[in-house]
Amino acid sequence: MPDSATRSGSQASLEAHLELIAEMAEDFADSLDVDVTLARALERITRHLDAEAGSIFLLEPDDEQLVCRASTGPVDLAGLRLRRDEGVVGRAVRRNACELVRDVRKDPNFEASVDRETGFTTRSILCASLSVRDRSLGAIELINKRGGEGLFDDRDRGVLRTLAAAAGLAIQNARLAASLVEQERVRRELELAAEIQRSLLPARRPPPFPVFGTNSPARAVSGDFYEFLELPDGRIGFSIGDVSGKGINAALLMAKTASLYRCLAKSGAGPGALLGRINDEICDTATRGMFVTMVVGDYEPASRRVRLANAGHEPALVHRGNGSFVSVPAEAPPVGIGRDLVPGGVFPETELVLDDAALYLFTDGLTEAVVDGSPLGAEGVRELIAKSEALAPDARVDALVAPLAGKSQHDDLTVVLLEPRQRGGEMGESAARGETLLEMRIPARAARLAEVRRAVERAARAAGCSAECARDVVMAVDEACQNVIRHAYGGECDEPIELEIRRDGDRLVLRLRDHAPPVDPARVRPRDLDDVRPGGLGVHFIRELMDDTRFLPSPAGGGNLLQMIKRVC
Amino acid sequence: MEHEVKEEQGKLVVALRGDVDLGSSPAARQVLLECVGKGRDVVVDLSGVAYIDSSGVASLVEAFQSARRKGSRFGLAAVSDSALRVFRLARLDKVFTIHGTVADGLSHGSS
Repeated sequence: MPDSATRSGSQASLEAHLELIAEMAEDFADSLDVDVTLARALERITRHLDAEAGSIFLLEPDDEQLVCRASTGPVDLAGLRLRRDEGVVGRAVRRNACELVRDVRKDPNFEASVDRETGFTTRSILCASLSVRDRSLGAIELINKRGGEGLFDDRDRGVLRTLAAAAGLAIQNARLAASLVEQERVRRELELAAEIQRSLLPARRPPPFPVFGTNSPARAVSGDFYEFLELPDGRIGFSIGDVSGKGINAALLMAKTASLYRCLAKSGAGPGALLGRINDEICDTATRGMFVTMVVGDYEPASRRVRLANAGHEPALVHRGNGSFVSVPAEAPPVGIGRDLVPGGVFPETELVLDDAALYLFTDGLTEAVVDGSPLGAEGVRELIAKSEALAPDARVDALVAPLAGKSQHDDLTVVLLEPRQRGGEMGESAARGETLLEMRIPARAARLAEVRRAVERAARAAGCSAECARDVVMAVDEACQNVIRHAYGGECDEPIELEIRRDGDRLVLRLRDHAPPVDPARVRPRDLDDVRPGGLGVHFIRELMDDTRFLPSPAGGGNLLQMIKRVC
Repeated sequence: MEHEVKEEQGKLVVALRGDVDLGSSPAARQVLLECVGKGRDVVVDLSGVAYIDSSGVASLVEAFQSARRKGSRFGLAAVSDSALRVFRLARLDKVFTIHGTVADGLSHGSS
């Protein structure tokens, strides 16, 4: 029964092949080290086909050379390099096929030099391309069949071709996995870089400090930066910058420029001279073609005077107390372009007195942010600023950036705000410093408002308010309490309303806090006067009666914090 | 807040006394709308009101509008300085008919 014996024999060997292929696939799937897995696969294949020696050659990334990555048998060939057209291996790769050299002495491609060097005698070679689709990754080569004449036959060729195809696929998968691991590693390093970069930006200071900044990178790392610091003579130095380009190189130059600024600012030099020195340093060392647009400024709290030097950056924007805007454009090129572009190496300075105005600096990520399909533009930035005017300065810089940040953001976004006026920084300061005149806490009940009015009137009179002035303060507090009861709490309840009145200099600072869900300040607006439902009228009264009214950022523990300021008169 | 309604010279005189604030303005609103609802001319005596807030102002406006729809007269009388200031803030000082005294209000418009 030779037929059935052969059939069952080929059946058994088919099962053995399949098992081998499955084992190889598992090895490659389990291991992230391609070389270790190649060695194991070679071991299995060599044993399966009963070869004396075996080796796997893979094409180098340049596609020119073949390198032996695994070798088994009496001679270790690992590391051996061949040209891609050299030897039987080269032929298998070139033809992307399985080559059988039954007897090497009859093959012109046989490279006898290896045998001469190793003392090994090659009689027969079976060499299959590691083929993935139409491409060869390399080849697996088996030398000398054990037993008999030591020659491979066509059946061996069929088996190796199948195994090589499986191995090729497995190698491809392992390489993909390795590149994913590499991508993941790069991603983690970027995250780390982003974290370090964030730590380079100055920590936010509470409102008595007049400078606030925010940065939202478009990618993991940012080419934007801002800085501010108190100088030994009492001035406050600040800077904003935008490095050309994006990605790691921009981030590195950003880190360098920000550090240079921080370091050199401490010398006490004015903004123009400082920018000149930074320019020299960047020109000396920066990569060609990269530059930085930046504004350097200083602020003198006593005089509220600001000096600005602008190197090719977006114009600084002054928002005056009366709502008008003034633009202060750049008068010099960006830093990093050339040493001798500004006379005497000192960038031109602009001087402003801020008084009740606020100064905004921002990168072009803001002006070029796309809103509803078109760039925000200079006009859009002004509208955005005007719209968020009621917010405290720290909340305001965040509010400017928040709606533009996110998925569709294509450039880094940075905003710096300098706001010395009563409305911003000093308001918090007065509340923190001033003398407390009144602290009271009542449930949100209409019946308790008379008591509040009496207490507020006493406090206002004690602070030196005239009867009329005290009456205004009483009314504003009363209306604010009504709004809390009616709108924040949605009706009378036993939830608390907390009132605090402090006096700082000639101003009363009143803060009213509730524990209701946040009120959207944009929606708390006076109504038209022909619509006299009391809620809107109350807000109108408050705005008429007080010198400044605004919601401060939600205090810890939630709720709303309304601050009203009235000059004692 | 307290209130008192009297009939004088064919008109209803509503005297409010005390603070017209969030707690008391619903009562003020009710009495004012009741009086206006009778189709009679109304004079509101505010001599006893030292404090009126936005909700009190809103009650007066509502009664004023209701009177206009009915074609009857609605006037305020003896308004304190502080209440007048509130009307000014609300830009209502030119909208309301404001009389110096209740007597002025009673004689106003009568032939």
